[in-house]
Amino acid sequence: MPALLAIATRNVFRNRRRTFITAAALVVGIFAVVSIRGVLNGLQGAIIASTVKGMTGGFQVHRAGYLANVLSPPLTLDFALDDPSLAGLAKLPGVTAVAPRIMFGGSLSVPKEKEEDTPEPLFFMATAVDPTLEPQVCPDRAGLMSAGSRFDEAHLLVGEAMLGTLDAKLGDEAVLLAPDRDGALNGELSHVGGALKSVMPGELKVAQVPLAAAQRLLRMEGRATELAVAVKDLAQVPSLVAQARALLGPTYEVHAWDDVATDRRTFMQRQNAISALVSVVFLLLMLLGVANTMLMSVLERTREVGTMMAVGVTRAQVLLLFLLEALSLGVVGVAGGLALGTTFVAALGAKGLTVTPPSATVALTLYPSSSPAFLVVVAALALLGCAVFSLYPALRASRLRPVEALAGR
Amino acid sequence: MSLIKLQGITKAYQLGKTQVPALKGIDLAVERGEFAVVMGPSGSGKTTLLNIIGLLDRADAGSYLLDGEELAGRDFNEMAGLRNKKIGFIFQSFNLIPVLNVIENIEFPCLLRREDKKLLRARVERVAEHVGLSHVLAHKPDELSGGQRQRVAIARALVTEPEIVLADEPTANLDSATSEQILDLMQRLNADSGVTFLFSTHDPRVMRRAKRVVQIADGRLVDGQDAAAANVAVLGAPPH
Ligand SMILES: Nc1ncnc2c1ncn2[C@@H]1O[C@H](COP(=O)(O)OP(=O)(O)O)[C@@H](O)[C@H]1O
Ligand SMILES: [Mg+2]
Repeated sequence: MPALLAIATRNVFRNRRRTFITAAALVVGIFAVVSIRGVLNGLQGAIIASTVKGMTGGFQVHRAGYLANVLSPPLTLDFALDDPSLAGLAKLPGVTAVAPRIMFGGSLSVPKEKEEDTPEPLFFMATAVDPTLEPQVCPDRAGLMSAGSRFDEAHLLVGEAMLGTLDAKLGDEAVLLAPDRDGALNGELSHVGGALKSVMPGELKVAQVPLAAAQRLLRMEGRATELAVAVKDLAQVPSLVAQARALLGPTYEVHAWDDVATDRRTFMQRQNAISALVSVVFLLLMLLGVANTMLMSVLERTREVGTMMAVGVTRAQVLLLFLLEALSLGVVGVAGGLALGTTFVAALGAKGLTVTPPSATVALTLYPSSSPAFLVVVAALALLGCAVFSLYPALRASRLRPVEALAGR
Repeated sequence: MSLIKLQGITKAYQLGKTQVPALKGIDLAVERGEFAVVMGPSGSGKTTLLNIIGLLDRADAGSYLLDGEELAGRDFNEMAGLRNKKIGFIFQSFNLIPVLNVIENIEFPCLLRREDKKLLRARVERVAEHVGLSHVLAHKPDELSGGQRQRVAIARALVTEPEIVLADEPTANLDSATSEQILDLMQRLNADSGVTFLFSTHDPRVMRRAKRVVQIADGRLVDGQDAAAANVAVLGAPPH
């Protein structure tokens, strides 16, 4: 009813000081919520990009049952690269490249001139990749190589920490030892090509080995345990995964990038949960302010409520009047907060935000952004909260008895 | 048929554990077109009586017929609707809505009935003109004098074309010149359009203009008095 709405909105601006303080609290709270989420969007965008372009590709193909065994990569669950059923994969529309890999565990030693100087061999987890195909799927791997590194048929890369322990330098001979797929121990000679930087904290001892050397070492010529597949658009991944499953049949399994890098997905989910919790706390604090303002407003206007009741305003209309007043206040605060927050996030997004996560060696540039869906949810929750938190004052006003309200009691 | 017929109306207030009787059995009839005053000392029950007649409060016992319709025991929403339709109020302290301007204050009760806004505006402006407010239609109440505010209240009470206008000590917050003007206005409205007025007051000026005075004392009506007799009682013998 327009008359009530007019009264409600005008009442918002009646006590300017109080309205200003309450609306300012709403603005600051919404601003904080939008900014935190915006920066997190940027961070997660960077995490997703570095995961997809530096580790997993858009999706991966393995022999059925492979990922369930991921703690000890089973070499027995491998496949021949010339399997005709794999041929269609690269031709799926939206797939841009396919790179074969072998994941295996082994040990590495870098012999010195004097045998007693040679450090103990170190156990490591290795990713064997093709030096020419791999960059088409995971171009960011190159960014993980320290300056001056080489990765080719004759050179492998080892994690920074491991390189230090082995006391190795570029060009040193490196002896790889690993059990092949039948369990027999084998050796292969390669050379130290450089160091791999760690992106995320807590990475294990890792190495990156040229695929051909790994195939000889593991007696798996022409075979691999993994295909990493690059896609044009990440949004297409679910549909491409479904198409690949249909194409490859039950002997293979197909997983989207976030089903492979579950630790990163979990990490991001935890970030989301924490930021949601922080946002809810902010929201509740703001809403307590709204509730307080509305209660004062009701207490001050008892006689006015009495007057309205005298001329025929019903209890429901009194309730509606104060809810509309709280909502008007909310609209002012929410609009201000959203405007400030999205402007701030957009400014950060345009400039980029360069951060180095704790204990990682690679600086990340984040591009914060706001998602419209999130903004809508925040606005809706804040406005709903305004209504819910002013329900008590509004009910209180609506339950006044006319005579008592008129007497200001 | 009387416009209003009260029979055996009682009302007591609960003050802590004690009951304070405010009305102790009121029988009263008000006819259409009356210009009547309820007169009595402070605390005698005038406000309580007008509140019950105005459906702002409920009697503890007794019967209240308005237009022959029994109104005792209606629920809150029915009472709100009946107040809107049948009763106009004029209060001692004007009781306008501060965020609404003169014209919006006057039309507010009509908007509650979802009257068509365009037709309504014309009527509201006519009523405003009738009470002498044409030049301040866009003013907010805090920009008006006490007399002007009470004129707005009168216009608001009249615009719904109620059965009766109740005015609880309408001149108590006005100086005597303004009081006279306001009383002139109400008297004129009563004479011209036959609107029924029921006042409460302990102001002799108000009483002097009444066609009928009902005396109340300690929650009971004092019997057998008409306006002339009341005037004698309060003001002494009229000059001949
Ligand atoms: N809300 C109330 N609570 C308790 N007693 C009240 C209340 N309102 C009025 N009374 C008492 O009822 C009696 C009548 O009051 P009221 O109708 O206000 O008289 P008047 O308007 O003639 O001054 C007085 O004794 C007054 O003290
Ligand atoms: Mg009184």
